[in-house]
Amino acid sequence: MTGWFFILAGLAALQGVERAAAQEGPAGLTKPVILPQFEPAKPRCNAPPDLGKILAFAQDNDRKFMQGVASGLQLAAKDRGMEFRLARASNDPARMIEQIKGFLTEKVGALVAAPVDAASVAPFLQQVIWSGAYVGTVVPPPAVTVLNAPQYLTGKVLGDEAAAYIKSRLNGKAKVVLLTHDSLQFLAPRFTAMRDSLKSTPGAIIVADISPLTVDEAGGAEMMRTILVANPDVDVVLGADTVVLGALAALREADKARATQFLGGIDGEPAAVDEIKRGGPYKASVSLASPIFGYAMGQHAADWLEGKSIPQAMDILPKALKIENVAQYEADTADPASVYQDGARREEYLRMYGNICYDTREQYLNFPWSSERR
Amino acid sequence: MPISSRFVISSGIILLAIGFLTLLGIVGSTAWLSEKSSSYFDESNRSRSLRAAAVELRSALQSAESSQRGYLVGGNEIYLAPYDAAKAQALAQFDRLKQLLPASSQNLSMINRLSKIISEKISEMDRTISLKLDLQDSQVGAVFRSNRGKALMDEANLFLSSIIRQAEDQLETLLNDQRQNATLLRLATIIGGLVIVLVVGGATLTAFRYAREVSHARNELNVLNLSLEDRVTKRTAQLAEARDRAELLVAEVNHRVANSLSLVASLVRLQSNLITDRASKEALEETEARILAVASVHKRLYSGGDARFVDLQEYLSSVLDNVEASMRGQGHVASLRYELEPLKLKTDSSINLGVIVTEWVTNAFKYAYPDKPGEVRVRLRRLSDGIAELAVEDDGIGRAEGPAKGTGLGSRIVSAMARSIGGNVEYVAAGKGTVARLAFSASLEG
Repeated sequence: MTGWFFILAGLAALQGVERAAAQEGPAGLTKPVILPQFEPAKPRCNAPPDLGKILAFAQDNDRKFMQGVASGLQLAAKDRGMEFRLARASNDPARMIEQIKGFLTEKVGALVAAPVDAASVAPFLQQVIWSGAYVGTVVPPPAVTVLNAPQYLTGKVLGDEAAAYIKSRLNGKAKVVLLTHDSLQFLAPRFTAMRDSLKSTPGAIIVADISPLTVDEAGGAEMMRTILVANPDVDVVLGADTVVLGALAALREADKARATQFLGGIDGEPAAVDEIKRGGPYKASVSLASPIFGYAMGQHAADWLEGKSIPQAMDILPKALKIENVAQYEADTADPASVYQDGARREEYLRMYGNICYDTREQYLNFPWSSERR
Repeated sequence: MPISSRFVISSGIILLAIGFLTLLGIVGSTAWLSEKSSSYFDESNRSRSLRAAAVELRSALQSAESSQRGYLVGGNEIYLAPYDAAKAQALAQFDRLKQLLPASSQNLSMINRLSKIISEKISEMDRTISLKLDLQDSQVGAVFRSNRGKALMDEANLFLSSIIRQAEDQLETLLNDQRQNATLLRLATIIGGLVIVLVVGGATLTAFRYAREVSHARNELNVLNLSLEDRVTKRTAQLAEARDRAELLVAEVNHRVANSLSLVASLVRLQSNLITDRASKEALEETEARILAVASVHKRLYSGGDARFVDLQEYLSSVLDNVEASMRGQGHVASLRYELEPLKLKTDSSINLGVIVTEWVTNAFKYAYPDKPGEVRVRLRRLSDGIAELAVEDDGIGRAEGPAKGTGLGSRIVSAMARSIGGNVEYVAAGKGTVARLAFSASLEG
C-alpha cells in the first residue's frame, strides 16, 4: 500500500542520516532547505566516468504500486538505451542491502531504491552516490533525486472532491466519516487537509473522526460497524482506500450503502478503482501515478549519465480518479513516455525542484525533504 | 356606483364580523403558540440535560484517563484521588445519561456499546494502576503500548459525540420550531393588524363615501330645486305672456267680429230702410236682430276677461235691451221685463241662447201683441241637476195651432240652435199667452 510505504520510508529517514555521517565522502544536504523550481536549461556537467549504462531498481516488495514504478523505469531504460536490472527485496532489509552492494560492485550508472528500511539502507545508498552514480529514492533520503508524495495536497485533493460533491449533489449537507491513521503521524497532514476542505462546506458535519484498530479492510469494516451504531446515516466516508473499502463492505452488510454516498480513498487501489468504474457509492480514489514518476526517474538517470542537470526532488502530484477520468488515467499510466514528453500533461503529474548533476553531486539531499515544509 | 344605506349597514356588519374574527384568530393563535412554547421549553430542558450529561461523562472519562496517565508516568499517588473522583463522576453521569436518552433501538444499541466501552476502559485504567501499585512497570508498558485505552476512548468519544449531536440537533430543531412559531405569530399579528386596519379603513371609507354621496345628492337636489323653481317662474311668465297675448288676440278678434257683425247689421238695416215691402222689411229686421244678438256676444267677449265663457245675465240683458229697442223702433208697444239669474255658459252655447231668446222675444213683440200693449217676460234660472231654463212668456193672443206665423225661419233657427246645445224646447199655453221654454245643460263642460 502506497501510504504505508511513504510513512515507513519517512520514519526511517532520520536514522539513515545519522549513520551516513560516519562514512567517507560528502554528507550531502543534511539540514532542511527550500528548493527552487527545477531549471531544465541549466548548463551541462561532466558525465560520470567508468559507470555502466545500467539502471537498477531495488524494490522493497511486489506491490502493485511498486510494479508501476518498475514498469516506468524499465520503459525509460529501454527508451534511453540502458540496461534494466530489477532486484526485489521482499520486505527484507538485509537482502536489499546485499542487492545494493552488488549494484555498487557492478558499477551500475543509476540506482532507484524503494528502501525496506531507510535507516539501514541509507549508508549504502550514499556509497552509490559517492561512486558518481545516479541515486533516486522513493521518498526517504539520501538521494540525488528524492521522490516525494505531498501528504497535505493528497488529502486536499480528496477533501476538495468530497466538498464539491456535497455542495453539488447533497445540497451542501452531509454526515462525514474520517477514517484516520493515528498510529502513523506522518499521514496526519492528509487528514488535516480533508478537515480544511470540509470547512468550506458548513453543512458537512464530521460525525466520526477515528482511526481503525488495524489499517486494512477488516479494520475499516469493523470501525464502520461501530460508527453505524452511533450514526446510522452516513453520507461521506474518507480515508485510505483499504479502510474505505472495508467501510463500504460494512455499509453494504448493514444495507446502508447508497449510490448517492461519496466514498473516497487514497492510494488508487485496484479494488477501489473497480468500485469507481462500477458507479456505486465509491466515487474517488486519489492516486499517485507510479509508472509515470518511475519513467521520469529513469529519464533523469539517463540524463545524469550524460552529464545533464536533473531535479534534486520531485513531487508526484495526487490525482483524484473518478469515473470520468479513470480511463484517461489508465491510458496515461500505460504509456508514461507520452505523458513525460508532453510538458502540459507531465505537469499534471510531476513537479520538480532544484538542480543537481554529477559535478554538484555533493549537494544531494540527505534530509527528509518535503515540498510542503515551510 | 352610488352607495345605498342598506349597503352601508350590510358592509358595516360584514366588516365588523371580519374584524372580530381576525381578533379571535390572533388571540387563538397566540394561545396555541404559547402552549407550544411551553412544550418546547420542557423538551429543550430535557435535551440540554442530555447534552450536559454526555459532555460531563466525556469530561469525567478524560479526567480519569489523564489522572491514570499522570500516575503511571510518575508513580505519584496524588493522581489517584482525582482518578477515583472522575471515575465515580463518569459512572454517575452514565446512569443519568441512560435515564435521559430517549428510548429507541439505536439509542439502546449505543447505550449497550457505551456501557461495555466504559466498563472496559475503567477496567483497563484500574488494571494499569493496580499493576503500577504492584511495581509491575513492564506489564503496565505492555498494556499502554497496546493502544487499547486510546481505542476505547476514541469509541467512547464516537458515541458521546453522537449523543451530544443528537441533543444539539434536537435543540436546534426546537429552536427553529420556536423561531418559526415566533415568525408565525408575528405574521399572524401583522396580517391580523392589517386586516383590522383594512376593516376600519373600509368602514371609514364606506361611511365617508356614503356621507359624501348624501351631501352630493343634497346639493344636486338643491340645484335641481333652484333650477326647477327658476324654470317654473320663467315658464309661468312665458305662459302668462302667451295667455295675455292670446287674450288680447281673442279680444281683438272678438272686437273685429263684433264690429263686423254690427257693420253687417247696419248694412241690413240700411237695406231694410230702403225696402218698402213689409215682409222683406221684417225679414231684414229679424236678420238684423239675429246678427246683433250674435255681435252682442262678441262685444261681451272682447270686453270681458275670459273668452271661453259668457256671463249670461250680462249678455242676455244686452241682447234683450237691443231687441226691445229694435222692436220699439219698429213700432211695437209691448214692454219687456226680464229676470236673469247669474249664470255662465260656454261662448258657443251662449250665442245659441242669444239667438233663441232674440227669436222668441221678437216673436212675442210681433205676434203676441200685434196691436196692443202687453208684457213680455224673460226668465233665466237654474234648475236642479245642472239644468237651466230659459223661458219667454207673454200674455198675448196665444200660440195658435196650424202653420207658423211669418216665414217659419225663426222656429227652424230655434230648433237648430237648441239641438246644437242639447237643449229641449217646449211651447206651453199659459192662460191667454204663451210660454216658450228651453231646458239646457248649465254645465260648463262639453
